[in-house]
Amino acid sequence: MTIVDIGGGLRLHAQRIGPRGGRPVTATAVLVHGLLTDSLASYYFTVAPAFAASGIDVVMYDLRGHGRSTRPATGYTLDDSIDDLEALLDRLEVTGPVHLVGNSYGGTVAFGYAARHPERAAGVSLIESEPATAAWAGKLDGILGRVMHELAHNEADAIAWITANRGQNTARLAKGAARLARETTLAEDIPASRVLSEDEISSVRCPVLGVYGGDSDLAELAPWMESVLPDCRTVVVPGHEHSVLVEASGTVGGHILSLILGATVPVQLAGAEAR
Amino acid sequence: MSLNGQRIGTVDEEAVLADIRSMLATLLDEYGIDDVEIRMDTTFNRDLELESIDLVTLAGLLEEKYGSRVNFAEFLAGMDFEEIIELTVGRLVEHVVASLKAAEAG
Repeated sequence: MTIVDIGGGLRLHAQRIGPRGGRPVTATAVLVHGLLTDSLASYYFTVAPAFAASGIDVVMYDLRGHGRSTRPATGYTLDDSIDDLEALLDRLEVTGPVHLVGNSYGGTVAFGYAARHPERAAGVSLIESEPATAAWAGKLDGILGRVMHELAHNEADAIAWITANRGQNTARLAKGAARLARETTLAEDIPASRVLSEDEISSVRCPVLGVYGGDSDLAELAPWMESVLPDCRTVVVPGHEHSVLVEASGTVGGHILSLILGATVPVQLAGAEAR
Repeated sequence: MSLNGQRIGTVDEEAVLADIRSMLATLLDEYGIDDVEIRMDTTFNRDLELESIDLVTLAGLLEEKYGSRVNFAEFLAGMDFEEIIELTVGRLVEHVVASLKAAEAG
């Protein structure tokens, strides 16, 4: 475990794993997780070991407020998240072009970093995710508004319903999300984020991969992504929704690995079945 | 092989369970919990209410203790979501014992 002090009282929890046994590193990948209930664990126990075994230097970290990173009360706009990522890579001395991978909000952060520093992005993989647009901000405003009103400020009823209908594990995750939403300005900051213009979006010229669950609303973004980005391929994984990364990690990881390794067909993930 | 109370050249399930109990005590202490009985059939998720990020910390503690002979991340990456939810202390103990034996066999 590494705790990286990025200044301003912020300490981010990072994990870095690479090929073992002196095998050479062929690429660096930076994996960014999603909002509220997520942490670097979503990668650590899914695709990260296989990426490392394939010769990739894998950097994962917890976003501010999440996992084992510190939780300041404020500073949760998209630009703050990109600033944090910049500072983290700086401190870790990751200087060369990297493959950015992001799940949900993490993908919006990853894409934002690539738009800010095109020369530092070798590739971007967006899992159930999209670049920051006005439509994205509007959607997040709706989702986070519901989190505040139906969960954070009505926790007892909400948790009772979730426990009965979705089980203990989801209820525990929801409690954590409610706490984060109440203790910070996240729910108001994210929808107020500066978004990208279409020109800024299409300025990301590196290869971009979009992976979507077939039953997710986000799957309909696939044609737009391919039309607006110069080098974009999208994959829809049938039978999955927003949690496609953890539910179908073998398939999702294989597509990402093929982008990173420059292969033309999905690479089979070592030790992970396509599930 | 660790020299801390274990016989060199053998892998002892009881000793591994004791190691893992002590790691879990460290983790649970952060939540102010110090009175949970940890048995082979204790589940990480339902009984100990550990979240996946806690398991990342546990992976670090396992690595500190056993080095590269035990890879908890790879062990979990080979499971589906339901299996992880149902994961027991006993299953981890068995995995550690098997990994240490494999390393011993060279």
